[in-house]
Amino acid sequence: MIEVKNLSYRYAEKQILSHVSFVVEEGGFYAVMGANGCGKTTLLKMLAGLLTPKEGEVLVDGENVSRYNVRALARKMAFVRQHPQTDFEFSAFETVLMGRNPYQRHLQNESEEDWNIVEQCMRQTNTWHLRYSRPSEISGGELQRVMMARALAQQTPIMLLDEPISNLDISHQFEILDLLRAISREERKTVLIVLHDLNMAMQYCEKLLLLHGGQVLYKGPIGDGLTQQNIATAFGVKASVGECGISLSKL
Amino acid sequence: MNVGKTKGVWVWCVVLSILLAMALLVSMRVGAVNFAWEELWESPIFWQLRFPRIVLSVLVGAALSVCGAAYQSIFRNPLTDPYVLGISSGASLGAAIAILLGWQSHLLGVGTCALLTGILTIVAIYRIASIGNRMHTTTLLLTGVCITFLVSAVISMLMVLNQDKMDSIIFWTMGSFATATWSDVAIVSPVVAAGIMVVVYYGRDLNLLLAGSETAKSLGVEVEKVKRLMLVVTTLMVAFCVSVCGVIGFVGLVVPHCIRLVVGPDNRRVVPLSVLVGGLFLLVCDTLSRTVMVPRELPVGCLTALVGAPLFVYLLYKKKRTY
Repeated sequence: MIEVKNLSYRYAEKQILSHVSFVVEEGGFYAVMGANGCGKTTLLKMLAGLLTPKEGEVLVDGENVSRYNVRALARKMAFVRQHPQTDFEFSAFETVLMGRNPYQRHLQNESEEDWNIVEQCMRQTNTWHLRYSRPSEISGGELQRVMMARALAQQTPIMLLDEPISNLDISHQFEILDLLRAISREERKTVLIVLHDLNMAMQYCEKLLLLHGGQVLYKGPIGDGLTQQNIATAFGVKASVGECGISLSKL
Repeated sequence: MNVGKTKGVWVWCVVLSILLAMALLVSMRVGAVNFAWEELWESPIFWQLRFPRIVLSVLVGAALSVCGAAYQSIFRNPLTDPYVLGISSGASLGAAIAILLGWQSHLLGVGTCALLTGILTIVAIYRIASIGNRMHTTTLLLTGVCITFLVSAVISMLMVLNQDKMDSIIFWTMGSFATATWSDVAIVSPVVAAGIMVVVYYGRDLNLLLAGSETAKSLGVEVEKVKRLMLVVTTLMVAFCVSVCGVIGFVGLVVPHCIRLVVGPDNRRVVPLSVLVGGLFLLVCDTLSRTVMVPRELPVGCLTALVGAPLFVYLLYKKKRTY
C-alpha cells in the first residue's frame, strides 16, 4: 500500500505539486492522468523515491520511502521512465538482466533462475527475438518493451510506469496493457501507469488518479471519474461519454 | 550470448596474460644496453633501472585504463579519461607545487599534493559540467580543456619563476618512466592494487550507472555513494600515478574502448581486461619510447597520444550523431 501525505514539490519557482494526499490500495490498476506539466512524472518519481519531496511524505507499506534501503526499495517498486537512456550498447538481454540487480550481491554472477526470469519477461513483452540486439538497432517502441521487460524482471509488488506505451503501435499497446492487467489481477501487483488515451484507460484500468494544477482532481473508480466535467477541468476539452467510449472536441 | 562472452573473457585473459609475459621478457632484454639472459640477472642496470621501470609502466597502464573505464561509466561518456578530463593535469599541478616547495624527496608529499589538486579538479568538473542529472559531452570536454589550459599556464608561470627546477617540472607535464625506482613501485602498487579491487567490486554498479542515475537508483544502486567512492578511488590512483611518472595521456581512453569493441560494454568484463590490456599497452609504449631512438628517449606520452588522439577524434566524430 502506498500512502501519500501532504506532498509538495517545486522546481525553482514553479510549484509542481501542492499538498497532495491519497492512498493507493494493494493490487489496484491505476491510470495516472492529467494535462502536460500537471505533475504526473514528478509524482511518480517521488513515489519511487527518486525525488525528495519539499514537504510531506510517501509511505510504502507504512515506511517512508526515503528511509528504505535502496536495494530493498528496488525489490518493492519498479520504475519505467518516459525516455529510456541508452548511450552504451548493452544488448536487450543484458538490459533486462539489469532488472535482477536488486537480488544479487557484488561479484555474484546471475543464476540460472535469473536467466529464466529474464527469458520469461522478454517473452511476455514479445522482445525475446531482440535479445542480441543493441539499442541502436531497434525501434523506440521495441526499446520501450525492453524497458518494460526489465521492470517485470525486478518482480516487484508495485510498478510505476511513466508513459510506457507512448511509442508503441496500437497492437503492442493492447498487448502491454493486457499483460499489465493480467499481472495486476493474478499476482495482485499494484500498477500505476501514466496514460494519455482516455479510452484506453477506461478500457483497461480499474481506478483513476486525475491530476490538475498540481493537485488531485479525482481518485477512485475510473468509470465514475472520467466525467464531462472532470475531463473539461483537467484537459480543457469537451467530452461526450457514451457506450462507444469517450469522444472529444475543443471546448 | 552472455555465456559465450563470459567464456570468451577467460580465453582473452589467458591470451593477454601470455602476451604480457612475452612483452615483459622482451622489454627486460632490450634497451640502451641489450642483455643476454645470463648477464641480465647480474646487471645492476637491470635491477636498479630497467626492472622497476617495467613494473611501474605495467602498474600505471593498468591503473589509468581502469580509471578510464570507471570515469566513462560515471560520466556516461565514452570520450572521458583522466587526461581528457584534465584530472591528470590537475594532479600534475599539485606535484609541481610540491616540487617547488622542496618536497620531492618525500614521494608521499608529492602524491598527497597531486591527490588534493586532482580531487579539486574532479569536483570542479562535476560541478561545472552537470546540467540536471546529465553530463553534456561538449560541456564536459570543454571543462577538461579549460582546466588543462589553466593548469599549464600556472605550471609555465611556476617554471619561469623557478628556472632551477624547470627540468623536474617538465618531467611531470610530459610523462616519463625514466626515473622509476623501486620506492616508486612500493608506493604506487598498494594504491593501484586496492583501487583496482574496489573498481572490480563495483563493476555491476558501474554498468547500471550507464543506464542513468535515476534508473540505477530504481534498480538498487546507491548512486551518490558509489559515484563518490569511485571518484575518490580513481582520482587517488591517477594522482599517485602522476606523482611518479607525470601526465601520460589517452591510455584510459584507448584501452577500455578497444576492449568494449571485443567483449561489449559490461564493466565486469571491461575492468579486469583493462588491467591486462592497459599494462601491456603502456609497457609496449614505454619499451618503444626507450628503444626506437637509442641513445635518446621519446617521452612515453608522445607514443600514447599518437595512438590516442586519432582514436579520440574518431569517437568524437561518431558521437556527433547524438548532438
